[in-house]
Amino acid sequence: MANSKKPGGLREMLESMYSVIALLFILVACVELCDAAAAFDVYRLIQYDMSGSPFGSRFAALNHHAASLHFPPGVDLSRTVLIIPLRELNITFVREYINQKKPLGGLLVLLPEVLSFKTGGNNQVHEKEKMKNLLAELERLLIHSNIPYPVYFAFENDEIDTALADIKKNDLMGQPATATTGGYKFVIPTAEPKKVASPTMTNIQGWLSGLKTDGDANQLPTIAIVASYDTFGAAPALSVGSDSNGSGIVALLEISRLFSLLYSNPKTRGRYNLLFGLTSGGPYNYNGTQKWLRSFDQRLRESIDYAICLNSIGSWDNELWIHVSKPPENAYIKQIFEGLSNVAEELDLKVGLKHKKINISNPRVAWEHEQFSRLRVTAATLSELSVTPELLESTGGLFDTRQYVNETAIVRGVKLVAESLARHIYGHQGKNIQIFADESSLAVNPAYIRSWLDVLSQTPRVAPFLSKDDPFVMALKKELAGHVDEVNVQHETLEGIFTFYDSTSARLNIYQVASVTFDLLLLLVLGSYLIVLFSFLVITTRGLDDLISLFRRPPSRKLKTA
Amino acid sequence: MTMFHFFNCAILTFGPHAVYYSATPLSEYDTLGTSVKAALVYLGTALVKLVCLATFLKVSENDGFDPYQELLKAVIGFIDVAGLYFALTQLTHRNISQNHKFQAVGLGWAFADSVLHRLAPLWVGARGLEFTWDFILQGLEANANLVLSISLAALGSLMWLRKNKPKTLIPIIYACAGIVATMPSITSYLRRGLGWHFPKVVGFELFTSLSMAFISWQLFSACQRPSS
Repeated sequence: MANSKKPGGLREMLESMYSVIALLFILVACVELCDAAAAFDVYRLIQYDMSGSPFGSRFAALNHHAASLHFPPGVDLSRTVLIIPLRELNITFVREYINQKKPLGGLLVLLPEVLSFKTGGNNQVHEKEKMKNLLAELERLLIHSNIPYPVYFAFENDEIDTALADIKKNDLMGQPATATTGGYKFVIPTAEPKKVASPTMTNIQGWLSGLKTDGDANQLPTIAIVASYDTFGAAPALSVGSDSNGSGIVALLEISRLFSLLYSNPKTRGRYNLLFGLTSGGPYNYNGTQKWLRSFDQRLRESIDYAICLNSIGSWDNELWIHVSKPPENAYIKQIFEGLSNVAEELDLKVGLKHKKINISNPRVAWEHEQFSRLRVTAATLSELSVTPELLESTGGLFDTRQYVNETAIVRGVKLVAESLARHIYGHQGKNIQIFADESSLAVNPAYIRSWLDVLSQTPRVAPFLSKDDPFVMALKKELAGHVDEVNVQHETLEGIFTFYDSTSARLNIYQVASVTFDLLLLLVLGSYLIVLFSFLVITTRGLDDLISLFRRPPSRKLKTA
Repeated sequence: MTMFHFFNCAILTFGPHAVYYSATPLSEYDTLGTSVKAALVYLGTALVKLVCLATFLKVSENDGFDPYQELLKAVIGFIDVAGLYFALTQLTHRNISQNHKFQAVGLGWAFADSVLHRLAPLWVGARGLEFTWDFILQGLEANANLVLSISLAALGSLMWLRKNKPKTLIPIIYACAGIVATMPSITSYLRRGLGWHFPKVVGFELFTSLSMAFISWQLFSACQRPSS
């Protein structure tokens, strides 16, 4: 309830501003001021079409009464918003609701505050694994369903906790909120979601030239290091993807920094060119990578010795995987794998090799290296994931927040890749020389990794919602430009089977409303009060006869005319 | 249902004025002109009060009860009484009996007060979705204010318009008029100094307005007996 100081304060203001009241009166007649009990940010479930089939939540505006999970069974919820805190979430219940297409006015999932990148800070998450699994399952369910009502995510705070406690109390008493029984009303005033017209993917590439001596008539060989930077999740406004693929981006930036230090001095510049690629369109079958590679001219593509793609290297303990599409017996693959294993042994970690054949007729591209392989370039993906992810899986979802990433893992990953690259470039294979040793001027910088990881964990990066000149993309370009000789930015349209809709976040207003019966009752009471007052005044000032004569006049008139 | 709530609160706040006008003989004697003139005089006194308050009053950061400021506000509040005096004595009325004059003036006064102080918050607040009891309490306050205004007008007419009064009653009349005139200061002291909540303050106002009305009615009829 509003505090009682409000009318008193307003009265003081009026006492000193009465001459402006008339003007204010006219203005206010046109303006509707906000008077909600509470208002805070909520984030909508993604809405997209894949090959014409609709997925996700198809509506954005909300204006319904609220109910909790303790609603009386059998009650109609088609004009009610269901509020479910994550700790009370039962996946089978939600799955049943969605699959059986039961009517619902809306769904609001409350996430624990610790997951918020704005207010959660770096607090530890309790029961990490359980929450991660629950969120992953919920996300998988929601992304692949067609839901005909708005679904929103919000972080728990004091206001909504008190409102929810109140709602639960009312529900337990068997009184769900409807227009006639009062309660809480949740309003999200937002427009109908529209298609995102020609969403852009921006690929950033950095080129570090190798040392060309006069004798080299041909172009120097090139090694490519690639990572995709965009994410996809159930709530696009919350998809920060700290591990998938924030860890990859950070690792790429650090590797570029280390090699820029080496290449800045002609004496230590290697005889290989280095090509760094920050690609977009990762979740959508690495569409951006494909377009980027297609834009290369033949000579450059042929000069690429091999490419290393980085994908999720932020939360592993002791084992990393190298995914390839060429058979392991291939000489080049063997070379790459041996190089990495040797360094891995020294760093006291394991690397395993996983081979997955690509099917040219299948449009599904599960790993980034497959796009290289389709154009006959040797490539491998370094990842902590041992199992090939499904479409739109492991692309930076609800659970992929800062707390789930371990920066030491990234540091080790960077050491692994940088060391094996350097040994290949400078021809030190098999020798026990540590180029990027700790405590040296070429040591991996954990502070750099940490600060970039923090930035990435606060930036949602779903490609259709990043404009051409998005400040984050520009920042990535600027950072890469500081480490390489030449930076190029390529804008492509995200076409293909995906269509996206906007409206990813909104403001929720909670109102405490009185029921219609209350208003009618009040009208009745006031009507009778005024009638009683009227009769009282007539009786005391004019006498009882006058009161009675008031009711006798009309019939006497009728008699006269008749 | 928010316009509904606005409508409910509006009839609670402004209905009694209309009912009072139509129920008592005021409507028969067509004293609407007097009420309108009284309302205009109220507007004038409110403007004067505004200027005085803006000039002399300090804006305090906390919402506590500052005795010096409240005393100043009470003194400025007596401008209200001066305005009422002006309305009762100086305005030329048609031949209306004293009985009806004070009622018409009090009614106009209270109506202008309600419109100025309560219409804007009602329009802004009661139309929203959020439900609070404040506007209903404000309507009850308006009712209490109506009764208080009429009793103040009655006492005022006794003080200034009636020439022959019983000697013993004069001090009582002045005392009651003083109490009614300083009602705003008393309620603000209750709200800020003692920290009473709004419902309690409204209840107190209703109670005192009814008792003051009864006392002034008794005084009025007591003064009427010698002349009749």
